[in-house]
Amino acid sequence: MDDKLQVRPMVDAKNGQVTPEIYTDEAIYQLELERVFGRSWLFLAHESLIPKAGDFFTTFMGEDPVVVVRQKDGSVEAYLNQCRHRGMRLCHADSGNTKAFTCAYHGWAFGLDGGLTSVPLEEEAYRNKLDKSRWGLTRVPRITLYKGLVFGNWDANAPALEDYMGDMAWYLDGFLDRREGGTEVVGGIHKWTIECNWKLAAEQFCSDQYHAPYTHASAVQVLQASPANKADGKPLGEGQTPRPVWADALGGVQFSGNGHGSAFFFTEKPDANVWVDGEVSSYFRDTYPEAEQRLGKVRALRLAGHNTLFPTLSWLNGTQTLRIWHPKGPNKIEVWAFCICDRDAPVEVKDALIRSHARAFGPAGFLEQDDSENWVEVQKVLRGYKARQAEFCIQMGMGFEERRQDGIPGLTNYTFAETAARGFYQHWANMMSAENWSEINDLSAADQQEGV
Amino acid sequence: MSEQATVLEPLRPTAQPSVIAPQALHYEIEQFLYLEAALLDEWRFREWLELIADDISYVLLTNTQALTRDRRRSVQPPLTYIFNEDKFQLERRVARLETGMAWSEEPPSRTRHFVSNVRILKHDAQTVELSCNYLIHRASKQQDIYSFVGTCQDKLRRTSNGAGWEVYSRELALDEFVLQAPNISILF
Repeated sequence: MDDKLQVRPMVDAKNGQVTPEIYTDEAIYQLELERVFGRSWLFLAHESLIPKAGDFFTTFMGEDPVVVVRQKDGSVEAYLNQCRHRGMRLCHADSGNTKAFTCAYHGWAFGLDGGLTSVPLEEEAYRNKLDKSRWGLTRVPRITLYKGLVFGNWDANAPALEDYMGDMAWYLDGFLDRREGGTEVVGGIHKWTIECNWKLAAEQFCSDQYHAPYTHASAVQVLQASPANKADGKPLGEGQTPRPVWADALGGVQFSGNGHGSAFFFTEKPDANVWVDGEVSSYFRDTYPEAEQRLGKVRALRLAGHNTLFPTLSWLNGTQTLRIWHPKGPNKIEVWAFCICDRDAPVEVKDALIRSHARAFGPAGFLEQDDSENWVEVQKVLRGYKARQAEFCIQMGMGFEERRQDGIPGLTNYTFAETAARGFYQHWANMMSAENWSEINDLSAADQQEGV
Repeated sequence: MSEQATVLEPLRPTAQPSVIAPQALHYEIEQFLYLEAALLDEWRFREWLELIADDISYVLLTNTQALTRDRRRSVQPPLTYIFNEDKFQLERRVARLETGMAWSEEPPSRTRHFVSNVRILKHDAQTVELSCNYLIHRASKQQDIYSFVGTCQDKLRRTSNGAGWEVYSRELALDEFVLQAPNISILF
């Protein structure tokens, strides 16, 4: 243990409190880049974004820019997007296809496999003395593909991705594995900036169903099915839930484990939420039998709810938004939102899903607008010294955790709870204070015993 | 083999040898665009909706960073919608603002819509196609300032709604790549 910034006392998961300094302190942020983002499995890309050899996609791991590259043999590698000569950003496009990456500064060129292949004036200037084999791109040492998602990890000693996910894989499978053929990204990627700490966004998607009825009240009022909204009572076509799932559901569940979290409600029909196009909801109903066969009833019926895979990958079932919260300093994030669709869905469903995704959760989305506003205002208030000392309350449902007998795995609670928030912050404190993954695992095992 | 979603195309280029519209028509169209801007800036959203045709298509797409080399061979990252509105959905956005619970607009932000570089691309007795640039300055909460800069291609038709014209197609492009605002809660 090496809690050099004394973060463990700032997270009191047992009593449901966190000190908001964790959202603002620059030194804590720098340690997060090293200990959280430098050791966690991070989402890099969806395989469908780089189908062919030479296809690349640029993204970030924490604040480190990386380029994800499809290899000639079909495998995927990722490298720091930084020329080894003088540190220049190597690749400036969002994505594309290439045979080599050539640095714009002095012209060093690297192959798809990251090897340094060409150095201008190698003979005249370097006198043929440069050992090119030593100056290949910095490779992300651990890459694992999981049902179409590409993950990377800088830490050679991190557990395997599936162990890192633990029970969260069961929830992720419900999103990615509804149909034979898997998923793909449809349409482009929304990218925008929110001036808030990354944990506010990640934790909300991990644990906070509670905000929805109030934060999103305006969207619900204007989009729910009612004659006042549209004469036939069906604003966006046939087959959606008439109101948000949270308003009419028959109970539900929140999950917490290894810092990850998820929550959803039980429903009787496989209908998507009220703000999704009719074509999309019909598609979910039409393909329900296949989904039930693959996933079982509980996950096949689940077309709403929120999820975070620690630290920064979040998704929403039904609206099919998958997003990563790239940290940009303690007070800022860049959101990248992808729309995920079954690969075998018909074109009209893919097109309708792209529209639905933008309507609900694009930067101008009827629901998205409200979330970012909350986080920005929290962050602004935390400029105050007193505000940073006043603990936040994360006590909802404390002590009511259970392990279910019906096949829904992990530590659970009622949907409206902060069990997953307590788990998220405890895992964060563990990663921030442990020297290596062996210590993180020991701390996690102790937390499991105590039901945090 | 799975089918690909429909590819969304960026705005087409409009620069061409000038179509010099009659000055009176040009003046009339400019005044219409300024009226629209003023109604939005004065929060008179219902009156603004009256200038929008029932068959409106109102679209704003994202943009991307692609190298010239890739653009030449049409290897470009895909686009997606920021806005893809019909009249119903625009009206619902206005209704949302009216709830008093649209938190990104509570208290309401102050916007200033600037319209410039108006070029009439085509016109006949009933319709006008135009291109213009826009700059929207948004002052929000106590001290948040955001600006949105881009270009717009409108199609207008003559009506008897008092303003003389209505917009039946609006295609917008925004120059920002990564949006610097936390959300887009205003109308363009």
